[in-house]
Amino acid sequence: MSKGKIAIVGIGEVPTGWYPERHEWDIIYDTCMQAVRDAGLNKNDIEGVLCSPAVGQPKLDSELVFGKLPEELGLKGCRDIASVNAGGATSANLLRMAEHWINTGIARIVLIMHATKYSSIDPNYLIKTFATAGMSMEWEYPFGTTYNGMIAMATTRFMNDNNISPEEMASIPVAFRKWAELDPNAMFRKPLTVEKVLSTRMISTPLHSMECNMLADGGAALVVTSPEMAKKICKTPVYMLGEGARYCQATVTQRTDDLLARMYKEAAADAFKQAGLTIKDMNILELYCAYPILMPILLMVLGVCKGGKDAIRFIAEGNTWPGGKLPCSTIGDALSRGHTGSGVGFAYLVETARQLMGKAGERQVKDCKYVLMNCAGGSGMNMIFEIFGRNLK
Amino acid sequence: MSEYAKPLPVIQPWSKKFWEAAHQHKLIMQKCNDCGKLVFYPRKFCPGCWSANLGWTDVSGKAKVRTFTITVAGVEQAFMPDLPYVLAIVDLEEGIRMMTNIVDCKSEDVKIGMDVEIAFRDCTDEISLPVFRPAKQ
Repeated sequence: MSKGKIAIVGIGEVPTGWYPERHEWDIIYDTCMQAVRDAGLNKNDIEGVLCSPAVGQPKLDSELVFGKLPEELGLKGCRDIASVNAGGATSANLLRMAEHWINTGIARIVLIMHATKYSSIDPNYLIKTFATAGMSMEWEYPFGTTYNGMIAMATTRFMNDNNISPEEMASIPVAFRKWAELDPNAMFRKPLTVEKVLSTRMISTPLHSMECNMLADGGAALVVTSPEMAKKICKTPVYMLGEGARYCQATVTQRTDDLLARMYKEAAADAFKQAGLTIKDMNILELYCAYPILMPILLMVLGVCKGGKDAIRFIAEGNTWPGGKLPCSTIGDALSRGHTGSGVGFAYLVETARQLMGKAGERQVKDCKYVLMNCAGGSGMNMIFEIFGRNLK
Repeated sequence: MSEYAKPLPVIQPWSKKFWEAAHQHKLIMQKCNDCGKLVFYPRKFCPGCWSANLGWTDVSGKAKVRTFTITVAGVEQAFMPDLPYVLAIVDLEEGIRMMTNIVDCKSEDVKIGMDVEIAFRDCTDEISLPVFRPAKQ
């Protein structure tokens, strides 16, 4: 990804939640039409379509990968379509592909989309899909691994090393919920307390059910183009300013103790360097955490907080909440938003654009100029940081 | 033992010896005869130096619990009869990190840093899974 080579000019999203009556193509129609209209474009202006594969949904996956979307929506100007799959890091990879298409002239205006509908899929099939996705079928799965279990083990160690109590950990889902209360697209919006989190059923120690994700339906779409074209068609284009990525091994047991922190720091440093900005310039950190533990870890890695205890205190004292010193994860993360497979990365991308376009309603962070977001795939196979701004600096 | 309902490891040609030994209740590790690196999980070529000259060596089976979780809910049907079970990551004396289960003790007695030793869970006529139990004093 090069600095300032693409801009987001339109966004579309449907509420995340459990909507068995909503057809998966309803999601696609709604999000894609919203995004094209938001950009002030005609459907036939879209020259390229990039789809997120539909994790755990074989029928929809096959339809998207094999090119149904432009035909279904009548995108007469579409020159090509493709899918790129990197699990939870798919959103960033579709942007990379879009940049290539835009800057080589394959397609001047590209539609990027994601749709997930889990409510009509057998729950046992879904549990199995996520128990085996990104897990070793030889060295992990036979022992009864799950994503909850993997993160639970990391959380056990983090709490042990930093002397963190269950009450302190529970302040993280509470911080996420503060934003979801203000987000009409979030699945869980009722006010939440530490006591409530700890009163929910234990899933995998130390994680209670409100510290784990709920699978959900949802979808998002974005229209992306070159900065030159963006200025002509959009009053508030959102520019990609920097990106950094590191591979972190696929299997949890292949990671040495310091690997993740080291790789995360390097990836963030690359993104800041490319953007010519620092953490102090960021108005929002759209931290895609998936589970509570990643929030304090990312705050440490990014240099916002010194240690685990400090990071937890920073969160519990409300610094990441609406009106706080450093707003973080303004969609309420996967915990409050609902987990849509590889879709949470798209939800953060749409929210990043929304905040920078000034369209975030009750969640709008004042004078928002720069946003850092992150995404990662599998059980942490990589980490990608991306920086967006409302001006080409 | 044909009623084993949980998923069995999907074995690769280069890990076959590991599982044959495990069924004899022996823990062995691949070792690169060129660079000397212990290799886990088993590979076709050494991931350190790409040598094809890989052999096998016995390891002690002594380990420390790096971290763990007591799994209580949210698992596939096949694992439900086992609930609650301890999923753990252990570090072998030889510097190898493995995913495993801690068995033969109360789940609430498992602690980070505790000493454990290899045990084997016989699953089928061919497969025994390497699990760990508290080390004998």
